[in-house]
Amino acid sequence: MLAFENAPPFAAPLRFFLTAPLFAVLAGLLVAFEGPDIFASRWTPGALAATHLITIGFMLQVMLGALIQILPVVAGANLKRPLAVARLVNVGLSAGALLLAAGFLSGIPALLGSAALILALTVLLFLTATIMALIGVPTTSPTIRGIKFALFSLAGVVGLGIVLALGLAYGWPLPLMALADLHAGWGLGGWAGVLLAAMAYVVVPMFQLTPGYPARSSWWFPVFMLLMLLLWSVALIADWPLLVRFGQLGAALAGIAFAGLTLRLQGKRRRARPDATYRYWQLGLTNSIFALFLLSTVAVWPAAADIDGWTLAFGVLLVAGGFLPFITGMLYKIVPFLSWMHLQNSGQAKVPAPAMNKILSEPEMHRQMLAYAVALALLLAAIFFPVWLARPAGLAFAIANGWLWWNIASAIRRYRLHLADIEAKLAVKLATS
Amino acid sequence: MTTIRSFMTEDHRRCDDLFAEAEQAVSKGNLDLALVAFGHFRSAMLAHFDSEEKTLFPTFEAKTGMRMGPTQVMRMEHEQLRGLMDDAINALKTADAEDYLGQADTLVIMMQQHNMKEENMLYPMCDQHLTAELPAVLERLETELCEP
Repeated sequence: MLAFENAPPFAAPLRFFLTAPLFAVLAGLLVAFEGPDIFASRWTPGALAATHLITIGFMLQVMLGALIQILPVVAGANLKRPLAVARLVNVGLSAGALLLAAGFLSGIPALLGSAALILALTVLLFLTATIMALIGVPTTSPTIRGIKFALFSLAGVVGLGIVLALGLAYGWPLPLMALADLHAGWGLGGWAGVLLAAMAYVVVPMFQLTPGYPARSSWWFPVFMLLMLLLWSVALIADWPLLVRFGQLGAALAGIAFAGLTLRLQGKRRRARPDATYRYWQLGLTNSIFALFLLSTVAVWPAAADIDGWTLAFGVLLVAGGFLPFITGMLYKIVPFLSWMHLQNSGQAKVPAPAMNKILSEPEMHRQMLAYAVALALLLAAIFFPVWLARPAGLAFAIANGWLWWNIASAIRRYRLHLADIEAKLAVKLATS
Repeated sequence: MTTIRSFMTEDHRRCDDLFAEAEQAVSKGNLDLALVAFGHFRSAMLAHFDSEEKTLFPTFEAKTGMRMGPTQVMRMEHEQLRGLMDDAINALKTADAEDYLGQADTLVIMMQQHNMKEENMLYPMCDQHLTAELPAVLERLETELCEP
């Protein structure tokens, strides 16, 4: 039997959406505090700490929070005790991200070890809960396939991350750099990339009224991405450098194809008004295409990676320029919509709920987006002029994300005011009827 | 072969197109045209809901015995969507473009989420359970949805 209306309580996803921006603020402050040194290479302790504050503290938070909300709706998969799972996962991810960043910055093995342990247990708990919910859910849409494949990759990226953290902490003889690349590949391509595509199949046509994604490529994208990552992994273990590059190139090209297709579909959207979500997506798609172009060039011509700023530009473009805009754009739809839906339900069809723009207005989102675009431009420029721009870029990034937090917190505050108002009106109506 | 899923999904797309026309008229500042376009959209949606509530859902319920399941949730969402369409049309009548766009944003997500559930879950269930009744049901849906 299909359960249609098993959306979890509002508090389950909200706690993730409210904590995530704070980690991006922290990352920005870290960049501002460390200054030019952080841009020396991707391997500086500061760069590693900032990267993980963003990828775990921000990206993973929102993604897991949104999945708890969305799994029942798009896949008919109902988590048992979603609120309890949400609490534990939210606390685990937050503590893990902080400990990991502290471990990178201090180099203290115990910090890295405990971060690895906490993150492993947290993700294990999440995977157990979601896999139990997904057992018996047939793969009837590319979105469901994408979610299942992404969860597999989540296990991959976290597994590799734990090996890397422990290897770093206890000096294991590992090829750290090659493994770190593979870890990033599983994280950004297999987990974040495939999950993003799975969600895009649903939300791009839904928010913008574009034509749907072509069925064949949407079914194959997750499979192709995973095959490329498996090839890359096997080639690394077997020490076949040429095949490693082939896997990277395949993954990069698949990403470019997905982003290009999405841009084309958005060009055919039937909605007249470009809203903040749409603009954020355009920003993310354009930056991702540039980033993946840099990656495919390195796969064909490895010496490019030695060019000053190449790898850093790739990372900043893909994570701060690509994934964060996608995620923020979606938060700007999800939070007002969920608020409206819960208000609507609490009014029991007797008291109407306010429209979404009464919860979070377009100008508020638009101004924050401009601040984010400025911060991103500064971050990219800081790669090439670190002495001048590192600190302003870090501060700008902290401000833009602090603003995102403020926008979401304001939406929640308005939601609570409306909720109290609706409940009061409902009580009057029920008493007089 | 025509299925309930493909036929009804096509009708959803037709409603989407009408909705987009209204929104485009608003963004060009032509509220009179928008009111006409939104009127078309609203009647298409109401006809769609009616054909589901009078023909498709009762047939499905009679065949499967599922009365309190998905069809009940869909009926409730139809009520919410009817309310949202009323609010939007009132905003257009009072020539409040800003208010309309806010209502339209809520309406479009609610409507798309509702359509998605029907297209991915309910219609396939109908196709699966109503094999014998399919030609008759489709014929009735066609007459109901093609009436002016």
